[in-house]
Amino acid sequence: MRGKRFRPWSALLNGYGLLFLAFLYLPLGLIVVYSFNANPINMAEWTGFTLDWYATIFRGASTEGNFDAAFTESPERIFGVIRNSFLVALCAASVATVIGTATAIALARYRFFGKRFYQALLLLPMLVPDIVLGIALLIFFVGAGIELGLMTIIIGHITFLSSYVFVVVSARLAGMDTTLEQASADLGAGPLTTFRRVTLPQIMPGVVGGFLLAFIISLDDVVITYFIAGVGSQTLPLFILAMMRRGLRPQITALAVLILLFSLTVASIGLILRNRKS
Amino acid sequence: MTRKRNALLLLLAPISLILGIFFLIPLGIVVVYSFLEPGLYGGVEWTWYPYNYGRILGWPLNDYEEFDPIYLAIFATSLKYAFLTVLFSLLICYPAAFWVSRRSARWKGFVLFLITLPFFTSLLIRIYAWLLLLRPTGFINAGLEYLSLISQPLDLLFSGFAVVLGMVYIFTPFMFLPIYANVEKLDYSLIRASQDLGANPAQTFFRIILPLTAPGMIAGSIIVFIPALGNFIVPAFLGGAKVQMTGNLIERSFLQSRDWPFGSALALLIMASVVLVLMVQTIRAGRKQAGDAA
Repeated sequence: MRGKRFRPWSALLNGYGLLFLAFLYLPLGLIVVYSFNANPINMAEWTGFTLDWYATIFRGASTEGNFDAAFTESPERIFGVIRNSFLVALCAASVATVIGTATAIALARYRFFGKRFYQALLLLPMLVPDIVLGIALLIFFVGAGIELGLMTIIIGHITFLSSYVFVVVSARLAGMDTTLEQASADLGAGPLTTFRRVTLPQIMPGVVGGFLLAFIISLDDVVITYFIAGVGSQTLPLFILAMMRRGLRPQITALAVLILLFSLTVASIGLILRNRKS
Repeated sequence: MTRKRNALLLLLAPISLILGIFFLIPLGIVVVYSFLEPGLYGGVEWTWYPYNYGRILGWPLNDYEEFDPIYLAIFATSLKYAFLTVLFSLLICYPAAFWVSRRSARWKGFVLFLITLPFFTSLLIRIYAWLLLLRPTGFINAGLEYLSLISQPLDLLFSGFAVVLGMVYIFTPFMFLPIYANVEKLDYSLIRASQDLGANPAQTFFRIILPLTAPGMIAGSIIVFIPALGNFIVPAFLGGAKVQMTGNLIERSFLQSRDWPFGSALALLIMASVVLVLMVQTIRAGRKQAGDAA
């Protein structure tokens, strides 16, 4: 009887839910479809299937055909910025994972004065608007005489990524049974042995998940990187930003699809690891 | 005992150093800079200079600089767009949260995963998608013309509408997840009780469902409001030259006109709004807790 009363609402709600998912995914789907559109001028008008735009990313533009040389970047340049981005993401996410995990363990397993201060402080980098953190770091680095470059980007990323890793690992620690740790201590294992043999294996999915999410956030960060990148240290998002400012061309669309595929894959693994029950 | 203390110090040292040196000190310097005089060649003069705020808020100034109401007007626009973004995100995510909470356990995980995923895709690419959709020759206009619904392309891009739409799109996961966490815990027996006692659907919604899900809505609203207020990427691409937000002014003060103290003052205006919102929420939550305890 209850089911009957809800039924028309149910159908309406189902329709709405599908619309909601469509709103999230249709714009991304359109990019994918139209990255194969042969029309070099108007991307909205379908004139045929082509893989040319993907080819320009790996092989550069050929001299013949309808390539607009001014809007087609060379593969060396594209792979240069991709290398920068991966270097930054790998370094920043690794350091942030160590720092975030250590902090999560300290706050979950110890009682100390000032704990609430740390809990609030760790949320701040996620709450302060990106632009404020970006200019603050810019002023700081310039004032301290540190030359802007990949190093400053890595440091800037570590600052806010540590908080993200902290949140993910803390969630894992909160749901964990502490009896094994106590048993290990009772049986005479030192704190380091207990950590390495008991705690770490149990929180590992959280640590790896936190690392992957930090990696993706670093790889995609625009605003903070925008302010603290030096002249010779362009990352992939800054490169896309510069390309978008010059105008929309099919090559960006193809590059966008490749980036989309990569981040979707890594984020999926990260989210699945985070949600997996031990 | 001391060994345990040493372990704790070791665990907390890295985060204290990182957040102390590269977060708290830089934010402190922004505060200091906002009260310094801009130097001739882009640096700062170390003299007390409150006129960065004077330029924005309009109190007595020296002879050289005039109060320009445009800065306050742009700030008001930013507030307006941030509020509209919150409002529309709420309207879109609220029913969606109910939809997801009523899926079977197997589907629920999958749908939640689908909704979280876009957060981890490139922000620029999500904005790029809307550029392609909203352009005069874009997909929406092309589609409407194909269906003969319009004869001339609509001016969708470079408007407040495009900026709000873009921000709603990129912040949807931020609004959805806190509301969902709340809706998921909703006690349906209270709703049934309300119906059994003769309340009509509107009464049940406004007196039972809405108050019970308000905490999630408030949390989501705050998480969306903060990045929306300081945003400069979305207005830069979807607002064009027509829509200016405070974030665009800050960006230009730092990277083009190189007036860092003025940019710092604008950034602190944003920060002050953020702190105000968080304080109101903390006080409200505290009062509610006290009320619950009493």
